Amino acid sequence: MLIGIDVGGTTTDAVLVKGNHVVKTAYLPTDHDNLLNCLLGALDQLIEGIVTQEIERVVLSTTLITNMIAEGKTDSVALVLIPGPGTNPKDYRLGDTIILDGAIDFRGREIAKLKEAQIKDAAMKISEHGQSRVAVVGKFGQRNHAHEQKVGEIMAKILPDAKIELGHKVSGQLNFPRRAATTMLTAATRDKYIEFAQAVSAAIRQRKISAPVYILKADGGTLPLEKSVEMPVETIFSGPAASIMGVLALTPPGQTSVVVDIGGTTTDLALILSGKPLLSSKGAKVDSLLTHIRAFAVKSVAIGGDSAVNVAGDRVVVGPRRDGPALCMGGPGPTPTDAMRVLGMTTIGDGTKAEEAMRQIAIQLGCSPKEAAEKVIDAVVEKIVSEICDMFLEWEQEPAYRIWEIMKREKLQAQNVVGVGGGAPPLVPLVARKLGAVAVVPEYASVANAIGAAVARPTLTLNLRIDTERGEYIVAEEGLTGKIGDRKMMPDEAARLAEKLLTERAARLGIGEYAKEAEVTYSEVFNMVRGWSTVGRLLDLRMEIPAGLLPSWGRC
Amino acid sequence: MSSKERPGKTGLIFFPAFDWAISPTHPEREERLLYTRDQIFEEGLMDLPQIEEYKPRLAELKDIARTHFCVPDVESQVTEAHLIAAGSTLTLADALEKGEIRNGFALVRPPGHHSMRVVHGNRGFCNINNMAILVEYLRTKYGHKRIAVIDTDVHHGDGTQEIFWHDPDVLCISFHQDGRTLYPGSGSVSEMGGPQALSRTLNIPLPPGTTDEGIHCVLDNLILPILDEFKPDLVLNSAGQDNHYTDPLANMRFSTNGYARLNEKLAPDLCVLEGGYAVETALPYVNTGIIQAMAGLDYSHVREPDFVPGRFVQSAEMVQEIESTVAQVQKIWDERDEMVESALSELGDFYKRRKRVFYDTDMINESQEEAVRICPDCAGYMTIASTAQRGYGILNSAFCISIPRAACSSCRQDAREEFEEHVDDKRIGFVCLQDKDRDTYTAYNNATRNRKNY
Repeated sequence: MLIGIDVGGTTTDAVLVKGNHVVKTAYLPTDHDNLLNCLLGALDQLIEGIVTQEIERVVLSTTLITNMIAEGKTDSVALVLIPGPGTNPKDYRLGDTIILDGAIDFRGREIAKLKEAQIKDAAMKISEHGQSRVAVVGKFGQRNHAHEQKVGEIMAKILPDAKIELGHKVSGQLNFPRRAATTMLTAATRDKYIEFAQAVSAAIRQRKISAPVYILKADGGTLPLEKSVEMPVETIFSGPAASIMGVLALTPPGQTSVVVDIGGTTTDLALILSGKPLLSSKGAKVDSLLTHIRAFAVKSVAIGGDSAVNVAGDRVVVGPRRDGPALCMGGPGPTPTDAMRVLGMTTIGDGTKAEEAMRQIAIQLGCSPKEAAEKVIDAVVEKIVSEICDMFLEWEQEPAYRIWEIMKREKLQAQNVVGVGGGAPPLVPLVARKLGAVAVVPEYASVANAIGAAVARPTLTLNLRIDTERGEYIVAEEGLTGKIGDRKMMPDEAARLAEKLLTERAARLGIGEYAKEAEVTYSEVFNMVRGWSTVGRLLDLRMEIPAGLLPSWGRC
Repeated sequence: MSSKERPGKTGLIFFPAFDWAISPTHPEREERLLYTRDQIFEEGLMDLPQIEEYKPRLAELKDIARTHFCVPDVESQVTEAHLIAAGSTLTLADALEKGEIRNGFALVRPPGHHSMRVVHGNRGFCNINNMAILVEYLRTKYGHKRIAVIDTDVHHGDGTQEIFWHDPDVLCISFHQDGRTLYPGSGSVSEMGGPQALSRTLNIPLPPGTTDEGIHCVLDNLILPILDEFKPDLVLNSAGQDNHYTDPLANMRFSTNGYARLNEKLAPDLCVLEGGYAVETALPYVNTGIIQAMAGLDYSHVREPDFVPGRFVQSAEMVQEIESTVAQVQKIWDERDEMVESALSELGDFYKRRKRVFYDTDMINESQEEAVRICPDCAGYMTIASTAQRGYGILNSAFCISIPRAACSSCRQDAREEFEEHVDDKRIGFVCLQDKDRDTYTAYNNATRNRKNY
């Protein structure tokens, strides 16, 4: 049996899954001041009367990190940058930073030396400020981490109690300011995350559950809880990821679907393209910071069941403001929920009050309350449909750097509009009709998020870069380098090396059994020509275990 | 309004064509913009609020036919890479005209500025002229009249010059390493445009070894004041990066800072990448600097690893030579109206010239007979009889006719007659008619009697 728990923004949902059936569900309002209690409350409801030895896996998805950052409860971090030539670091708007001399270039060659005295001064300054967490990030540190390591070592001597985070360990991808932001966030959240993870582990063991505990990441993959402390920020936005994985689990494989989660004030939209959830192209935006965190592309639109309805001229305007609950639920003014109540699309709330809400709109439009309600629903559907079309368009318009990428980029259309969460079921058929798609409201739509958590498999990424002229390879996140003897290394040999390294990384992270699912998702090979002859090759490979479902979930 | 004063973002299209090369070890190969990609992506430039990245589109065949006479047809002269590079400039033109961006940089390959009006093959790494295609598009679609093209590549922008040779509304200024020391050999001060457009082509040959100081002297004392007088609707930069002191194909001593400062002062509305082959030592830094300058960002932190200010100093002779060239070109510019008047007074109904064009990449020799009608009512139609030879054999021949925008009825009629006269003349391979006024383009194959319309 599998357990999935999603501690979301408003509710905590939990499911118990056996094979491809949902055996039991549980539900609790989320208490933001005590996420651990919510999680355990839902767990306790779920395991009541269950033989806990039969539980094979527990997966958690939590807003812990999201909340911590949103509420400014993260720890203070000294950000130390080695930016080298290029952009004025001030233009990155990363806040207070300490800038060090020294530089590495795009090939990973040292082009300016570190200055030891300057590093010591910086460490003293950090110590004077009483900071105990340091993030050290160098431009092109993922191509050569010698500088980051050296700075880390010198600082560790002067700041023996400090926790020092190095940029290359956090991401091997290009984009220095994103790496700096991600490293800083990692340092700022790790201690509290460790506390949380330990408390969760202890509480679960207390309940005599010996099954492994996993955490869900923003890319829809799971990772053993004890290993996730290496990358706490990757657990951000796991709520939407859980919902999307849930939809993946509840719809036929290989199809193109729009996931629509209509809440009180916002509607979250996501795309599953030919059975693959769309990742945001560069990485998640966390608060005001752009990061390298791999996350599904989720668009949040300021429209929902409780959005305020107004009339401007002869047009109905819905949102973006929310004044309170729907009038039929005792709120201050008309909302889409009232419109749905009048049209019989829902039965919640007080029908007379809903009628009154629509009358307020009808008077201004010179029509009947029912017609007013139809116009409100039309406006909501219109807005959601246009945002969905924009999402497809944005996906089509994503930059491409090769001819074949530009030539092959096909146009995709939604086959399904899938509603999840509470507010979606009445509106999804209307949105689907406009898009010429099939409306799907799965049986367990309200706990799709928890199902997604329960049945998601692990994900893993490995970035391998090989420079045969320099005779070396590097896996930045692992802090690993090695020698390459063959100047003419072929792409398939490089893929074999990547596979070997990924298998090792997977084993280290406790997800070795999934390594065989890994695939090369990006590969580039460049011959280096100097003068008129080839002097070496640059090979860049990304290998991943992509988001997917456990094999035991053989549904659909 | 200059792009400096306009609000908004800098539009950027980066299309490195990582899967296209002239040949595996050619300077114009896959690797050319690889390290530039590394640098600008690592800098996170695309994420900055000052910059908006656009996806390129393919130019339409009609966009090419508006500028070039491609023989035998457009399809056989372009690959998808060419259409994407040209289309990138048009995507940015649209964004600029819609007010989405205040300026833009098409950081794309393959380059274009050596391609001339008639195209039989590749010359100087170029098949079609991205910049000229952009200019013709801006004029046809958006009705711009006066456009200035500043060619900052180290090689003379001979293709762009040739395409706008007779056009008094397109000011083509090229500074470059002296043609006596570098491909394509042309670009002397005395090349100054056709009789109706004299001194709307200006060439500033510079001695090998010219530094930041020399190029900024030309910019400050000649180019910027001339632009002030010409008052173009738009300023476009054919932004080659091979004036750099590390470029393997040329001998100048321009730096990243020099390039960035140039773009800051010139404030072009759109920039289009041309050449530049120091793939590791120059391009990553120069491109970063140009993007920063266009976006109004601080570029003082971008510097080549081995550069120290004051590293290169021009000799007194070089300074003198540059100053004297500037004075000569200034004189040509100042006397432009008199020169046009006197040139036209000596001409009859037609201006004619013969010329030869060598396609170095494809080893083609072309000879042309060009005729432009000197018409009191419009710009006058133009014909070009072109024969291309490869080795000892004739490759292709074509008779090309161009009807200008706002053509008078007499020029239109005569041009039409010229077309009909040459159709089915078996001595000529192809007959092409370019009607810029109606934006329709026709290519007729005399051997197959096949007509293509763009």
